[in-house]
Amino acid sequence: MFQWKKLGKIFNPSELDNRIWMKEYAQSPSVLIFDEFIRVYFSCRPSPDETGKYVSYLAYLDLNKKDLFDVINISENPLLKLGELGTFDEFGTNPASAIRIGDDIRIYYCGWTRCESVPFNSAIGVAISNDQGKTFTKLGKGPVISYTIDEPFLLGSPKVKIFNNVWYLWYAVGKKWIANSGNPEPVYKIRMAYSNDGINWVKTGKDLIETKVEEDECQASAEVILYKNKYHMFFSYRHSLGYRFKEKGYRIGYASSDDIITWVRDDSKAGITISEEGWDSEMVSYPHIFELDKNIYMLYQGNHFGRDGFGLAKLEGHYF
Amino acid sequence: MNWKKLGKIFNPTQHKLPDNCHEFAQAPQTLVFENYVRIYFSTREKDKIGKYLSHISFVDFNKKFEKIINISKDTIIPLGSLGCFDEHGIFPINIVRGKDGKKIHAYTTGWNRKVSISADASIGLAFSDDDGLSFKKIGNGPILTASLNEPFLVGDAFVAVFHDVYHMWYIYGSKWFIDSSEDAPQRVYKIAYAKSTDGISWEREGRNIITDKLNENECQALPTVIYFNDKYHMFFCYRQATGFRKIKERGYRIGYAYSLDLITWTRDDENCGIDVTDGDWDSDMLCYPHVFHCDNKIYMLYNGNEFGRFGFGLAVLDN
Repeated sequence: MFQWKKLGKIFNPSELDNRIWMKEYAQSPSVLIFDEFIRVYFSCRPSPDETGKYVSYLAYLDLNKKDLFDVINISENPLLKLGELGTFDEFGTNPASAIRIGDDIRIYYCGWTRCESVPFNSAIGVAISNDQGKTFTKLGKGPVISYTIDEPFLLGSPKVKIFNNVWYLWYAVGKKWIANSGNPEPVYKIRMAYSNDGINWVKTGKDLIETKVEEDECQASAEVILYKNKYHMFFSYRHSLGYRFKEKGYRIGYASSDDIITWVRDDSKAGITISEEGWDSEMVSYPHIFELDKNIYMLYQGNHFGRDGFGLAKLEGHYF
Repeated sequence: MNWKKLGKIFNPTQHKLPDNCHEFAQAPQTLVFENYVRIYFSTREKDKIGKYLSHISFVDFNKKFEKIINISKDTIIPLGSLGCFDEHGIFPINIVRGKDGKKIHAYTTGWNRKVSISADASIGLAFSDDDGLSFKKIGNGPILTASLNEPFLVGDAFVAVFHDVYHMWYIYGSKWFIDSSEDAPQRVYKIAYAKSTDGISWEREGRNIITDKLNENECQALPTVIYFNDKYHMFFCYRQATGFRKIKERGYRIGYAYSLDLITWTRDDENCGIDVTDGDWDSDMLCYPHVFHCDNKIYMLYNGNEFGRFGFGLAVLDN
């Protein structure tokens, strides 16, 4: 199995007092390595409105390469505006995945809208930066990955990668809404699409990861790395109901594949779970893996879906 | 062109309809059989909170449109389940026989209610194996929905087979806006085009194909296309973006465009040949046209005042 050594929490937005748009949550960390620092893109939120509803914004922070717990810079403003009236990302941009293409940086993000019979819906948009990832412009007002015949709602949790010149996007797809006595809760599973340009995508149309905890298990945030001709996926899963507490909350699962299409799930190899106590004692989720100076690290969210920030682990055991 | 009005032919309040519907017979669309014409329309029930849900029904007429011979008794196509694009209504529906001349396709516009705006729409597909008495959806999701440059309100599909290709004219939303003259946000939508080899996967052309006549906020809806006299003829309805419910001059009228190649359309409302009639059921508004061939004649079904609350009427092309 993998052996991840937890190094602790890196960033807690509630400790900041100079950005009203970044009061709570630091979700879906996504790293790009720069010469002088590493930049972590993430999603954050201002305080909720009077009805308890949140919006979410994209942000980044820069970490000292020699000491990843040293935050040397935080974005001054949200990287993207919320969408116009009636558009798919009117109420939030979360989570996100960043990728470098030559001199440009692209962000694939999940946009949120609010509905009447269910609380929300989502689809996946793309924005581009020409200034080294400081500011972004949306490709258009609408989504790039949108609903189709058998992917009817809730497209989110995008993770974009390029392997062997092919673009891959892993994302979560809504399967159904559970009525839950007037408090609808969604069920979603991990799927994949591929592309030549990152804009026009072909959906493979299959749930990739077998279900474990229950038929309505929710799966998201599929982080895939390629090592020695094998694909390794770390992802999040939880129960469909009662998931705001420890027993049924998010955990990190693992699957592997030789052909990027067929995946074998084996959570026992994931090598990371909740701690006895502390900031990640109830949930671990949204893994993001990156390499720095020949070490492999995982950023991940802890309790409350990352409300209090994200932390870092380092790969010690060499499963590869 | 000159359309001779034959009057209102169907009033939904005079019949018993399935799905608890009693008012509205909007966007009539035909399926022509050997001995009768089936006319599908969207009608409405009120839900528990007093909001409308649109359902599809049909009425069968003899081929001279003098006599009603049948009215749908059961649900033709169910609304979508919780969270689906067509949970809160199907309006309109477009019915077309596939390339094989047999399989019956239904292109639906499904509605789902939102919070900051009233609702969004996408286009779905269903098939019928029983001559259009009932339809089965091909999935829970849409075949055409919000995309990069058509960000919301994708609907009003009209599909026709020409030269062994499926052609679709539809509308997409270009903006939602708040205006002091209206209580709720209003929308602007435009006519666009897509084509397909199988009627399921569509390639969008990605542009507004009909030029605006009123202003940039002109709303263009429900295109219908027919071929005769070596030309393709499109009828549609258009209106101002605000004040269109109550002010006659700002309400829906029928517009017209023609094309030789299905790509370039010339708007020519002067030649539309149909307008409101003072003192009649269509005195304030004309909307949701549907043009079709039947026994060597060309007919137009359409709605009049109040968006078809009290039914639809018929006109015949007078050569």
